[in-house]
Amino acid sequence: MVLLSAIFLFCLIPISAVKAERPFPKPKGLVNDFANVISPAYLQKLTAVTGALFQKTGIPVVVVTMPDIGGAEYNDYANRLYKAWGIGKKGEDKGVLIFVTVKERKMRIETGYGVEGILPDGLVGEIRDRYMTPFLKQDKFGEGLFAGALAVARVIAKASGIELSGQMPKKTVKKRGGFSFFPIIIILIIIMLISKRRGGSWFFFLPLLFGLSGGGGSGSRYSSGGSGGSFGGFGGGFGGFGGGMSGGGGAGGGF
Amino acid sequence: MGKGLKTLLVILGILLLIVFAAYSFLKGTYNTLVTMDESVKGAWAQVENQLQRRYDLIPNYVETVKGYAKHEKEVFVKVTEARSKVAGATTISDKIQANNQLTSALGRLLLVVERYPELKANTNFIRLQDELAGTENRIAVERRRFNEMVKTYNIKVRKFPTNILAGMFGFEKADFFEVPKERQAAPKVKF
Repeated sequence: MVLLSAIFLFCLIPISAVKAERPFPKPKGLVNDFANVISPAYLQKLTAVTGALFQKTGIPVVVVTMPDIGGAEYNDYANRLYKAWGIGKKGEDKGVLIFVTVKERKMRIETGYGVEGILPDGLVGEIRDRYMTPFLKQDKFGEGLFAGALAVARVIAKASGIELSGQMPKKTVKKRGGFSFFPIIIILIIIMLISKRRGGSWFFFLPLLFGLSGGGGSGSRYSSGGSGGSFGGFGGGFGGFGGGMSGGGGAGGGF
Repeated sequence: MGKGLKTLLVILGILLLIVFAAYSFLKGTYNTLVTMDESVKGAWAQVENQLQRRYDLIPNYVETVKGYAKHEKEVFVKVTEARSKVAGATTISDKIQANNQLTSALGRLLLVVERYPELKANTNFIRLQDELAGTENRIAVERRRFNEMVKTYNIKVRKFPTNILAGMFGFEKADFFEVPKERQAAPKVKF
């Protein structure tokens, strides 16, 4: 809903006002963590799954994180980035861009013209809702991007009739409120009972309890040092993609 | 006689050169104009594809919303009316105008949808919503490309000396796909 509203508002922007002021970064490979928010473990997983798919099908699923896009409209930005990088072969236009901007807290899965048939917007929206947004909401960028990339890669693999390994990250999505009060109440009662029997004050335990339940959920950031950036999957250096285009298909939204 | 022949030949050569230069200028410019004109038409065809896509999507979408929000008749009527106007439009400027009206009617429908949490939780509706959002985005993308194309073409047509040729061969300025000004002050939608 928010997304639709955003697009409708976007329609109101006059033609000349929308121009990307900042140049796009150069692609480093299939996985481009410009925002440094993916853990080394998930960076490796992402590289593995997108690399395997690319080798077997020739279809690139490109992952990009940006620290911020300077307040640009994210759907438009993703589409321009797709074209600027030319993801997929020219004419075939088979490719997918999975894009996240951290500061604006927006994401988009942009599908190339050539995969619109196997990845209709409704399905892409489902992938966004089921696999990505729950993780992204918790700042688990690595998990969210990997789950999204794997889900997309599976659809492409299935359509191309190949097998793809890889396991979905487990969803440890907490319910609203962060933790359940029920076990804490039980513990409290036990503590109270024990304290009463011993004649001490049970209030003593309170800070300890809250200390246990608090904390967690701090935004994790990783430095990309040591990743080396070896993307020699197709013969020496990474010179960019093949000039593929997308026509704004896919799905996006905030998180 | 020998001298006279020489000057004649020189003059002839210069004339030939001028004719050739004029010809190549004419050919180059004319062909560029044709190519650009075709590109504008091609870009417009892409816009129309996406507009058609939205047109096809609307009945299904409206039916689903109706299932939950029967009382919002006025909005449904507006959308249906706007949609039939789109079907009736023939010229490009008519089509643009009709589609802009449809966009604003759909915008109002979206605000109505906001009031029905049950509808927003319906999986079928969520997918339709995604399809509509994707289509709106496609329209935005193709419209931007079309406008960029029109801009380059118009600059070419209006610039000297191309403008003379363009006038001679009837290449006219193309219209932008503009979104009406008053809609820029549209109701604020929560992000």
